[in-house]
Amino acid sequence: MPQPSVTYLPFVALAAVLLPFAGSLLSAIAGRRSQSGAIAITAIAGSLLTAAYVFAQVWGNAPVHGQWQWFVIGETPFHVGLLLDNQSVLMLLLVPLIALPVHLYSVAYMKGDPGIHRYWMYLGLFCFAMMALVVADNLFLLYVCWELVGFASYLLIGFWFTRDTAVQANKKAFIVNRIGDIGLLIGIAILYAQFGTLDIRTLFDPHGLVAASVVADGQWIASGRSMPAIWLTLSGLAFLLGAIAKSAQFPLHVWLPDAMEGPTAVSSLIHAATMVAAGVFLLARIFPLFNGTALMVMACIGVFTACMAAYFALTQYDIKKILAFSTISQLGFMVAGIGMGAYHAALFHLATHAFFKCLLFLAAGAVIHEMQHLNKQYGLEIDPQDIRGMGGLRRQMPLTFTVMAIAALALGGFPLTGGFLSKDALLVHALEWGAIQPGLLRLLPYFLFAAAGLTAFYIARLIFKVFVAPPAIDRLTQIHEVGKWMLVPMLFLAACSLFLVFSLHPFDVGRAWLTQGMVPDTLPPTLPAAHTLVPVTATLIALLMAWLAWKWYVKGAYPLRTTGLLYKLSLNQGYLDKLYDLAVISPVLRLSHVLREADRYLVDGTIDGLGRLGRLLAALAGWMDQYVVDGTVRLIGKIAYGLGNVLRRTQTGRVQYYLFTMFFIVLIVLLYQMIIHA
Amino acid sequence: MITLTHFLVVSACIFAAGMYAVLARRNAIMVLVGIELIINAAILNLVAFGRYDSTHYGGQVFAVFAIVLAAAGVAVALAIILNVYQHYKTINPEDIRDLKEK
Repeated sequence: MPQPSVTYLPFVALAAVLLPFAGSLLSAIAGRRSQSGAIAITAIAGSLLTAAYVFAQVWGNAPVHGQWQWFVIGETPFHVGLLLDNQSVLMLLLVPLIALPVHLYSVAYMKGDPGIHRYWMYLGLFCFAMMALVVADNLFLLYVCWELVGFASYLLIGFWFTRDTAVQANKKAFIVNRIGDIGLLIGIAILYAQFGTLDIRTLFDPHGLVAASVVADGQWIASGRSMPAIWLTLSGLAFLLGAIAKSAQFPLHVWLPDAMEGPTAVSSLIHAATMVAAGVFLLARIFPLFNGTALMVMACIGVFTACMAAYFALTQYDIKKILAFSTISQLGFMVAGIGMGAYHAALFHLATHAFFKCLLFLAAGAVIHEMQHLNKQYGLEIDPQDIRGMGGLRRQMPLTFTVMAIAALALGGFPLTGGFLSKDALLVHALEWGAIQPGLLRLLPYFLFAAAGLTAFYIARLIFKVFVAPPAIDRLTQIHEVGKWMLVPMLFLAACSLFLVFSLHPFDVGRAWLTQGMVPDTLPPTLPAAHTLVPVTATLIALLMAWLAWKWYVKGAYPLRTTGLLYKLSLNQGYLDKLYDLAVISPVLRLSHVLREADRYLVDGTIDGLGRLGRLLAALAGWMDQYVVDGTVRLIGKIAYGLGNVLRRTQTGRVQYYLFTMFFIVLIVLLYQMIIHA
Repeated sequence: MITLTHFLVVSACIFAAGMYAVLARRNAIMVLVGIELIINAAILNLVAFGRYDSTHYGGQVFAVFAIVLAAAGVAVALAIILNVYQHYKTINPEDIRDLKEK
């Protein structure tokens, strides 16, 4: 690989990262004046251009590593920098590429919102955090950005913070993510204890420290240090825990469906390029760390999540909830893909998924926007997000229908789309991986096929219910197409959802340029038959499912009872929220109540008692001061006053009285002398 | 035989009369007369006790001094009374109370 001769690239990348942050800061400084979003859009566009330049320079070339000393602890210098390799520049490009359409879309979507100046600020911060996360060259910096991403998402999910549900949702997202953050932190700590460095390149290079470490005699040995081998597995699982929370995998996926409380444009950003992608990216970034056990756990969790979320998505009525579970399911595919060793396919799917899922959300947002408009115009009370209240919108919103259909096809994995390429790449790798696995693990790839089938069904259900089925009410024919500020970003994303962006060959899943850039060193032996069979089978399954959905939802031949156990299980999302409520939230709340009471009566009581004692003493001292000390002083004063008052009577001003007094006193003295001497 | 005691009794009577005039009269001139009486009571005493000093006649000499001083005192006092009268348009000591705090 030719070494790029440029040394300024890290600075260009740094500019790409910092531009959204600068935009965010400027928006913050401008405050209420920054309503148009011009600052944020300019910043993100500039960021996109610089990121594209960096991408063009680095992709396919040797990694560029720009590093500066940050601080020194004792004698250990700590560096900070940017690591630009294929993985990171791909993500570096992807984030602004998704964020720019979202920004443009937000101009129309968020128009008139009283808090829109905050919105631009948060968006910039979010993009900055994610971009900094992908180019961070050490795990510590990555952790910082990881937290920043979580914080920014917290702000955005709770953007409409006057709604109670939004506040609950962002709190939930934040708390669930904290669990993952603990995992990440523990993983980082284990790595630092073992290797003494957190530099990603030093650690995870093909010839890096992790690759060079060996497990022998139950000890994990690396460059002179060793610890029990169990820590290798544990560190892998700890990082996995972090990714599970961030990328919404079972059992920590519960925050993502609730995160729909944010503005739809934010949801599209969270689900596409920022936030949830961070977990998958992290797993791909530190892939050499995972040993067999960790990978197996990862694959199982991914497959289970993919199936579970697809199953939950089948019966949801909220258009955004369906898409949320769809994201969880697709992330399950990616995590499973990484667990099966095919992180290149997983990142490929991440990239294609980013476009079509962002598009799905934006189109859903367009529908919601117009439904709200309809509500306002005619004074209706339809829930703008409930797909039961929609139908037949393809006539009124043809362009939205077209782009959403393209995105749905991509999600369902139909040919000629990007989703087809990446999902089938994942499925092919899954099959190849399954072929060399022992026992029940062989079955995992087939679950992925099932999940892919369910995906096709639920997304077809959504499209048919919203756009094709007969309108739920007549008023729906009065709905309008959205404005061009929302259409243009969607059209751009629709174009990006097609196969041409990723591969010139629409059917050969192995030939996409994106996967070529980062093929893992060790892959299971290829099954040539799978490369033809998998796309065909997957497409057939998807077609079958779409046809089934067509029959059920458009033709009205709905065969299921809505009271069945399986149906209810799916509708209530497996009762997981209730389970968590019972198992975790309620006990914690009860404990907090107990502690609060203890605090109130025990701690506060003691302090209050002390305070009361102090007051009592003070009152006593005050009494003493007032009546004893002051009393003495005042008594003296009073005596003097009284005496003076009596004596002043004698000061009559009459000379003769004075003389009489003198005479009288002299007389008394004389008498006294006489009595004494007598 | 007239003894010292007779002198002293007469002197005491004059002193009492003077004292009464000083304390009780409503006229400053009369008060001044009372003062003269008191002084003269004292002079009488000096002369009476003078018999015990028949060599130097200290008593008589002091009596002469005292008479002169009394005369001087009366002159000054009369001048004061005149000024008081000009100032207050009265010489009744009862009405002159400026020594008292207002």
